[in-house]
Amino acid sequence: MKEFMTGNHAVAHAVKLCRAPLIAAYPITPQTAIYEKLSEWEASGELKGIMMRTESEHSAMASCIAASLTGVRTFTATSSQGIALMHEMLHFAAGCRAPVVMANVNRLLAAPWGFWADQLDSLSQRDTGWVQFYCENGQESLDTVIQAYKIAEQVYLPTMLSLEAFFVSHFMEVVDLPEQEQVDQFLPLMDLPHKFDIDKPGFLVPVVPSELYQKYKHMAQVSMDSVKRIAVEVDQEFKEEFGRGYGIVEPIMLEDAEVVLVTAGSITSTARVAVKDLRKRGKKIGLLKVRLFRPFPVEAVQIALRGKKKIAVIDRNISLGSGGIFCQELRAALVHSPEHPLTYSYLAGIGGTDVTPEVIEKIASDVTNREQPVDKPIWVTES
Amino acid sequence: MEIQHDSSSEFVIPISYGSSEITQTGKWGFQKPETVFMTAPCQEACPAGINIPQFLYFANEGLYGEALLTILKESPFPGICGRVCFHPCELSCNRAQFDESVSIHTMERYVSDATSNEMIELLPLSVGKSNVAIVGAGPAGLSCAYFLSLLGHHVTIFEARKEPGGVMRWGIPDYRLPKSILKREIQRILSLPIELKTGTKIGRDISFDELSQFNGIFLSPGAGINVLLSLQGEKLGQIWKGREFLERINSKEKIKLGKETIVIGGGNTAMDVARSALRLASGVTVAYRRTRDEMPAIKDEIEEAEGEGVKFGFLIQPVKVNILKNKKLSVKFQCMKLSRRDQSSRPKAIPVRGKFITLETDHLITAVGEQVDLSWLPEELIKNQLIERKRSSKIFAGGDAVDQPRTIVTAIGAGKRAAISIDSFLRGNDEDSILSKMTVGSKGSLSMEAYLRGRENADWPQAKKVVPYEEINTLFFEPSKRARVRKRNRDRVLKSFSEVNLGYSAKEAKFSASRCFSCGTCNYCYNCYYFCPEGVISLDPAQRARTVDFDHCKGCGTCAKACPRSVVEMRKLP
Repeated sequence: MKEFMTGNHAVAHAVKLCRAPLIAAYPITPQTAIYEKLSEWEASGELKGIMMRTESEHSAMASCIAASLTGVRTFTATSSQGIALMHEMLHFAAGCRAPVVMANVNRLLAAPWGFWADQLDSLSQRDTGWVQFYCENGQESLDTVIQAYKIAEQVYLPTMLSLEAFFVSHFMEVVDLPEQEQVDQFLPLMDLPHKFDIDKPGFLVPVVPSELYQKYKHMAQVSMDSVKRIAVEVDQEFKEEFGRGYGIVEPIMLEDAEVVLVTAGSITSTARVAVKDLRKRGKKIGLLKVRLFRPFPVEAVQIALRGKKKIAVIDRNISLGSGGIFCQELRAALVHSPEHPLTYSYLAGIGGTDVTPEVIEKIASDVTNREQPVDKPIWVTES
Repeated sequence: MEIQHDSSSEFVIPISYGSSEITQTGKWGFQKPETVFMTAPCQEACPAGINIPQFLYFANEGLYGEALLTILKESPFPGICGRVCFHPCELSCNRAQFDESVSIHTMERYVSDATSNEMIELLPLSVGKSNVAIVGAGPAGLSCAYFLSLLGHHVTIFEARKEPGGVMRWGIPDYRLPKSILKREIQRILSLPIELKTGTKIGRDISFDELSQFNGIFLSPGAGINVLLSLQGEKLGQIWKGREFLERINSKEKIKLGKETIVIGGGNTAMDVARSALRLASGVTVAYRRTRDEMPAIKDEIEEAEGEGVKFGFLIQPVKVNILKNKKLSVKFQCMKLSRRDQSSRPKAIPVRGKFITLETDHLITAVGEQVDLSWLPEELIKNQLIERKRSSKIFAGGDAVDQPRTIVTAIGAGKRAAISIDSFLRGNDEDSILSKMTVGSKGSLSMEAYLRGRENADWPQAKKVVPYEEINTLFFEPSKRARVRKRNRDRVLKSFSEVNLGYSAKEAKFSASRCFSCGTCNYCYNCYYFCPEGVISLDPAQRARTVDFDHCKGCGTCAKACPRSVVEMRKLP
């Protein structure tokens, strides 16, 4: 069934379809619409489960972890300062191997204050041990929530998907809502090993010796690594069931491309248009969308970019003192690739600035004309 | 390394199924919570020292038997006090500063009424060999006998009249205190091994010296002689004395009154006389030499009298009575005015020179105070027309015959004080040094419960502190109004002496008990339990126990802050 809705509401629909019995959240712009929609459904009885209105995001995540460890599916949504406050608990979720699913609406981090799209909030949580997806639009956000549960519950790792403030969270688009029966079939009720039993009380997060700590981190890394395979499998299975698939990376017109633009999130949609136009004008430009960020799909990226001369990574984020975070990851992923391409870092869309097709074309033209490597990020501004 | 996920969560995350209790986190703290039951201001104000928060706790739990036993620890007369006490407790109630005081008075009555069918078996706590004589079976004498008997002494009461009860029987009319209640409470006392010799007046039937064969003597003869007004014509037959009038009514004597009665006085006796006369179909005017504000009667009594139709004449004092030809009395009143009020006492009433009024009436009843009959007592026990005991002797005294406020509850307190003093005297303990340890606050009442706690080893802890309003965490309470006490229909009330106040319904009683802040008394609200971040508090209402696992209490103090009633105190560790 197709409906016209915002990205936030698409996420809310997905949560309802996945039958999460516990939702714990705290409202924050621009995520609040997810919280409100779920609240509405809880009040009307459409949502079967408990919606905990916690006093902070930190508590929301703590609640999700605790509930998850009793063996139930959990969900939370947050953004910006909220995910920053949640940071400590994000490590606990991963360390406790709690398959919590979270939607993060990418909003810039203060200061200065603002509400606009920027990926730094979730990218700052890069090392917390969460699986991370970056979604291009509302449909993909909805589908990724469903996939996220299926992945998280196989590897016992928490999974978050990010959608950008306003460009995705508030823009309305036609979204194909899956049928409940279809989702139930794709995503059976969870059966997790973490079933805390009041008759057999256990103490979680005990002090462990160094060797044991190292062992558990190693185990988690092995699980994390397996996500690259499992995410592909889940996506294929999803495509068979629902007719839509995304891959962990998506190569677009790469076969004969000499220059490749790399994007994540909503800028990809704009880039698709710009690249099409450039192709019409005879430019051998391709596009690579990175959807899975953690674990970083090193092998998939290496295969997709084999033999390319130059790539331009467009980042709507900046790690001060370094540069675009996706670019760092790309460079690291490609370093062992034979004859790896020159990798340029472009900063565009930071703080929610608009990335138009013209901006993308400007980047394509700029990178085409460069012959020498550039270490520093290149700022793209409208002027 | 290949990781396989099996159904064992320990394989994925470390879980300890042992206990972390081995880590004695309690050793980290520098302070510890202590459960400290404190005295509530209501309890301090009660001359009988009744543990009011405790009995209201039981009442709120529906445990009326336990509530009754709680009151009986400190007073043998809950049914009587629940009706006629002037309830200073309610004036001191901390809740009065929040919204309205708790209805302690009516709740005491409810507890008594709700348990009227229950058999309470009172058993002496120990067996002694001492014989104690008590003179007078009024509230003080009966209370003293009750407590002494519970303490194991052989008690003999000498009562001059044919029935026990004193002022409770002869002074208070049925519409305030039905005789059935009085009878039940006296019977409960006399179920103890107490010998009651009625119709035995000291000085007439046996001599005062004969009392010396007893190991201890308590004198509580009361004050039964009407004070005379030194009024011209006072000896006329149509002028009655208030106490005698009430005695005749309480003896079920048929009295016929004319159309008009004037009552002289402003105390409780005057109110009882006025309202009784009203029930004998007479119009009643109370004449008082001061104003309404100075009347010594309980405010409720004044309001009820007025509500029933008693008229008041203030600032007048009778000086002369004549009989008119129509057999009516002509009473000449001197008009009075108040002298400038000094801060310590009531203003004096002084005559307005040359100003008089005259009223006609069928009857004049004087109720201006009572005196003690001291004719049978040795001189050394008399001071200022009252009994005063000699220190360190085996003779003790209390009630209306000594220098103390003349109320029933004060008499109960005096009987208890005497019982503790006599018991201490007989056990060879110095009463002066121990009485301070069983005081309930600083207003003079004593706790029998506290006395019993240390009696065995003659070792008492220091008396408990009183909880001020400031120490109540009122955030945990919602404002509410007291339940009003139901009264019998006014038109029917005046046709008989049936009880005016009807008390509370079960629902009103439950609500009223729930309004108690329980100042200084744990009522198992579970706040500390819920707020404790360490989960080290255990509560067991059935055993009335609150325990803390000190091996794991870090002394954070959250429980002390979360306690709405100041029962938990943090103590610094050495």
